[in-house]
Amino acid sequence: MHFICCIKQVPDTSKVKIDPETNTLIRSGVESIANPYDMVALEAALTLKDTCGGKLTVLSMGPPQAEQVLREAISCGADEAILLSDRAFAGADTLATSYALTRAIEKLAQKTPVDIVCCGKQAIDGDTAQVGPGIATRLGYTQFTYVTEIKEIDTVNARITVKRKVEGGSEIIRGPLPCVLTVELELAKPRRASLPRLIHSLKSEIGVWNAEAIHGDNQKLGLKGSPTWVKKIFSPPFKEGGPRFDARENPRQAVEDCLKTLLADETFAFHLLKQWGQ
Amino acid sequence: MPKNSKGIEVAKILPEKCIGCQICVAECPVGAIEMSNGAAVIDPEVCIGCGKCFEVCPVEAVKFEKKRSPKKIRKPEEVAQYARDNYRGVAVFIESFNGQGATVSWELIGKARQLAEKLNTRVIGFLLGYEVNDSAREAIAYGCDEVHVIDDPLLRTYISKPYGKALTDLCKKVKPEIFLIGATPLGRDLAGIVATNLETGLTADCTGLDIEEEKNLLLMTRPTFGGNIMATIFCEHHRPQMSTVRPRVFKTPEKNPARNGNIYCHVLEPPHDKLPELIDFIKDVVSGDGVDISRFPALVVAGKGACDLETMPLLEELANLVGGIVACSRPVVEAGLMPYDRQVGQTGKTVAPKLYLGIGVSGAVQHLVGMQGSEKIIAVNADPKAPIFNVADVGIIGDYKKVVPVLIEELKKRKLRN
Repeated sequence: MHFICCIKQVPDTSKVKIDPETNTLIRSGVESIANPYDMVALEAALTLKDTCGGKLTVLSMGPPQAEQVLREAISCGADEAILLSDRAFAGADTLATSYALTRAIEKLAQKTPVDIVCCGKQAIDGDTAQVGPGIATRLGYTQFTYVTEIKEIDTVNARITVKRKVEGGSEIIRGPLPCVLTVELELAKPRRASLPRLIHSLKSEIGVWNAEAIHGDNQKLGLKGSPTWVKKIFSPPFKEGGPRFDARENPRQAVEDCLKTLLADETFAFHLLKQWGQ
Repeated sequence: MPKNSKGIEVAKILPEKCIGCQICVAECPVGAIEMSNGAAVIDPEVCIGCGKCFEVCPVEAVKFEKKRSPKKIRKPEEVAQYARDNYRGVAVFIESFNGQGATVSWELIGKARQLAEKLNTRVIGFLLGYEVNDSAREAIAYGCDEVHVIDDPLLRTYISKPYGKALTDLCKKVKPEIFLIGATPLGRDLAGIVATNLETGLTADCTGLDIEEEKNLLLMTRPTFGGNIMATIFCEHHRPQMSTVRPRVFKTPEKNPARNGNIYCHVLEPPHDKLPELIDFIKDVVSGDGVDISRFPALVVAGKGACDLETMPLLEELANLVGGIVACSRPVVEAGLMPYDRQVGQTGKTVAPKLYLGIGVSGAVQHLVGMQGSEKIIAVNADPKAPIFNVADVGIIGDYKKVVPVLIEELKKRKLRN
């Protein structure tokens, strides 16, 4: 079977902040990492490969440095890695991203038909969760989002059974291959690379494809192919906050002052003390 | 202005302002811009000084002095181009489960009404399911002018493909200029399919929606980079302008059962593909009592600073006193003191109670995005610099172990007096 896993290199978002004084991004100390959800997708693909046999191709789109995440994937057990890197891909929103990735998957499928595409449910920098469904729709594959468990893969009848998160619970759903899975963190714990694989990954060749290589329509790629544009970027609205009372000396005084401020709003005080009319 | 060896006045990127969006990289006609360490850098020898990067930069990170004619003003004919295509109306997807409309759909109808009034147009509901006519009438009561329904047994439960196709077909027929979908698991699964089929823009998890007056475009504001930064997005050349919105971002409008509206029924054209089949539904085994914290008018929220077993009974008492329940921030769940469904924040639940009482909650951005809609916020924290104080209506600086018992006593007194 042929498995594909899509991996995005992202900035470690927990460290990205805006300087409140200058309203600019504070970039120092922000490193690039493989999107954590995608690493779970990789683990899912590796497990599938371990069970069914076959080949795992990892795919990423980004600047040349993004090959780092692909090497990481090879060190964990991926067989082949392709990086989509071209000026023409720059500035892509989710629609243009899913287009480029789909063209690449179609090209890979010409050589070896694809059975399962694994993606993280979302990337931690944008949190859109739109690229997975975009790829599934373009390819016409069965779509399973928010997958928490792969229950069964039936290679004879070419179908898969998964457990996925839905409102208020989980559903078990069985559908035909080929399919796209987008996975939740709880699905698996990513494995660590062995030393020999690590060395192998450093020597492996990463295929780099540009727009021409995927026969991409330039009008659908990158910024040109992106319907959405960023108008502006800003810090979340900064609030001063209300008065603060110091309770370190005299807790009772502070609590009294606090309640006085809070209950000055008579309607609010009424509802609070009357338990919201219940 | 710096000049290169050819005497051309070149543009320069201020790395501290650059957000690494790469828009300028794609826009540069001569390929003079490259990414380096996450920021764009212009090669001055390649730059032709056209200023295109300056025009497209969303954050004014490009230093460039324009010498030539001022920015080209778009011709009115161009502006009218998309209105010509007859995309009119603000549409809302009405999510229905077991014949019950999802609250987020009603919230979106309320917002759609405001947008439609600015655009002087109508509010449209799109409803898919089986035996969902009650939800159609309810949508009108909440503010829809018309509801387009596809009612078919195949749509009894949600399966991505038939829902995606049905909703795409409705959009193609009705042609709304704006289309809003609730960012529920179902809505997020569905929105990506429809936007891809229609090849239009989709902005996820918006927290603010407004109309830009010059061209009547939808301005969609959303948190990005894990909530650390807000971005305003627009979609100028494609229709509909699509957006998903999280539950409880907007208020549910008043319901008026006497409102008039039209219901149009459409026939399902099912996809030809082989479809998945639903085998089982497992209701969340809610650890403990199965409470939904988002439904309580008051929440006492335990944070990392109040993360110990002995404190819990005290917080329970306080919660009872204010007519609410105890919730928590992420570290408390990670410490195993409370179940996940009590967690407030980006990875937990979004809440908007009338009273939020944070005890030892420091106020990380990821927590704040899940509770900023609360009506009144009280914070108790020992650290005077805790960010939670910046969003609190009133704060108490001090050890919660000393403050909470007094707070309970004082509240009891005031309740007795009333």
